[in-house]
Amino acid sequence: MCLNFQSFSVPARLAVLIPAHNEAATIDGIVRAAKEHLGGDVVVIDDASTDGTAQIARSAGATVLPLSCNLGAWGATQAGIRYALKANYQQVMTMDADGQHLPEYLPLLLTTLVSGEADVVIGACTERGSRARQLAWGYFRKLTGLGIEDLTSGFRAYNKAAMRVLAAPEATLLDYQDVGVLLLLRYARLRIQEIPVPMRERDHGGSRVFPSWLVVGKYMLQTSLLCLAKVGMNGKRRVAMQR
Amino acid sequence: MIDYQWTSTLIGLLIASLILFLVRRDHLHGPYAVWWLVVAAMVVVLGVFPRLFDTVAPLFGVAYPPILAVVLGMGLLLIKMLTMDLERSRQERKLRRLTQRLAMLETLLEKVHQSQLAQEKEKDIGGDDNQGQ
Repeated sequence: MCLNFQSFSVPARLAVLIPAHNEAATIDGIVRAAKEHLGGDVVVIDDASTDGTAQIARSAGATVLPLSCNLGAWGATQAGIRYALKANYQQVMTMDADGQHLPEYLPLLLTTLVSGEADVVIGACTERGSRARQLAWGYFRKLTGLGIEDLTSGFRAYNKAAMRVLAAPEATLLDYQDVGVLLLLRYARLRIQEIPVPMRERDHGGSRVFPSWLVVGKYMLQTSLLCLAKVGMNGKRRVAMQR
Repeated sequence: MIDYQWTSTLIGLLIASLILFLVRRDHLHGPYAVWWLVVAAMVVVLGVFPRLFDTVAPLFGVAYPPILAVVLGMGLLLIKMLTMDLERSRQERKLRRLTQRLAMLETLLEKVHQSQLAQEKEKDIGGDDNQGQ
């Protein structure tokens, strides 16, 4: 049996990636809605769920990537991006499995990406989140100099250049898909554009990124350290650009 | 009361035999085992010749020689711990990428399976039609 990805014919050139961890309650609706609104292939990355997420996604018509251990939202997304590259997709879009992101806005993101104005398009909703989260975002914007309003949005569209950057081993040890990922993209001199979109409150369960204050503290510390460590790299890039 | 020299020698030998035991049982591998064996050897050597510190310490400006042992020991432990974390990060990266690759291959395998099944079904239907004619 041939195990070569290239030999496998892929009908569409676009894939919607949905990382999911125990999202049996919402995944069916989201897969169907994504298919309906965009028509591309839907790939659900099952992040070692213990409920029926994988089966439900499969029966809703999605391709399922079953991760054998829990890699977190970013590790799952990267698995999807690596799969998409191997299977020769030209663009990928990512969205959460919890119902926050509205599939009807997928075409808007895609249109902006395909127009060639940007390598990465982020569906941004700055109104969501508590005052503490807004403060944290402001702090990271200052620290990184990233001119991006919604740092944590997982509602994004990437072209092939961005997919290549994010599939690399350098992106594998990141724990969150926000600041670290955006810094990598900036370092690769890719153009990032934000489009304001509305978002819904989560249908089920709490946020995966901010479940408790202890986790928030850990996140703030880790991300601050990451920003500080990458300061020199940004400088290098700016010099390179001036030349 | 036994001599301090014996105490250190005994500790050194115990560490060395523990390391060898762990390597034998496959609990410690390659570079780690070598590092710990060097540590055990140092403990034995410095245990047998504690006077070594009295000669070396003044060269580094340490007035109370035993402190040199403590400082050196702590420094080496810190280096060891750092290299352990480096190794752990390397392994974590490898593990994550392997997990991703495994998932990709599983999905592909399933797709190949499905297309094979579909082909077989088509063949069967074709065969039935021919028989009918």
